[in-house]
Amino acid sequence: MSTRLLAIGGFAVALLLFAAVEWCARREGSRIPTFGEVCAYVMRYEVGQVPVGRIGVFGFWWWLGWHFFAR
Amino acid sequence: MEQPSEIAAEVPRARDRSMVSLPILAFLSLVGGQLPSFSLSANLYTLGIGGALVWLGLSNRVPRRPVARRFWPGAAWWLLPVTVFAVVEGTTFLLGSSRNYPTFSLLADPMLEPELARSAVYFGWLAAFWALVRR
Repeated sequence: MSTRLLAIGGFAVALLLFAAVEWCARREGSRIPTFGEVCAYVMRYEVGQVPVGRIGVFGFWWWLGWHFFAR
Repeated sequence: MEQPSEIAAEVPRARDRSMVSLPILAFLSLVGGQLPSFSLSANLYTLGIGGALVWLGLSNRVPRRPVARRFWPGAAWWLLPVTVFAVVEGTTFLLGSSRNYPTFSLLADPMLEPELARSAVYFGWLAAFWALVRR
């Protein structure tokens, strides 16, 4: 098996795992948070009055869009 | 007047309803999908829209959804897909991000070339960004 196929397979497994965990999280009575709830939890993190969590998550998402659509 | 540090609204205002926000996001996505990579217009457009959303998200001008103040014992399950992705991305990046060792963005680039696909993914990015602003 070529390394290219191995890499594609690895990304496919990761994406399938993302979908599977999200599906499990959305079941009734699940103890797993949805991805949105995890993001909300991280975004609550503050150092003093500085919303470090929000800045970090927004900054990452902003960079991701620029990375895929502008360069 | 000083803005409150956190605004939680169970009943969103009209401008936050999906009937208002979704067409705006769709329009912005259609425009963004027309702009080719590496162009000045694509850079300015993406940075401008992202900057506006970051400003909205940090300025407390948009009502936020109520947040459950608890931690879930099953949250560690999210480490599984994140770790698999990080290992593959990190390995391919360190090995040079070539045809034999493609990173995720290298694989995604050809799929984002058609304008319709580009607009659709642009819409996903903007919709998720808007959802984060409202969190």
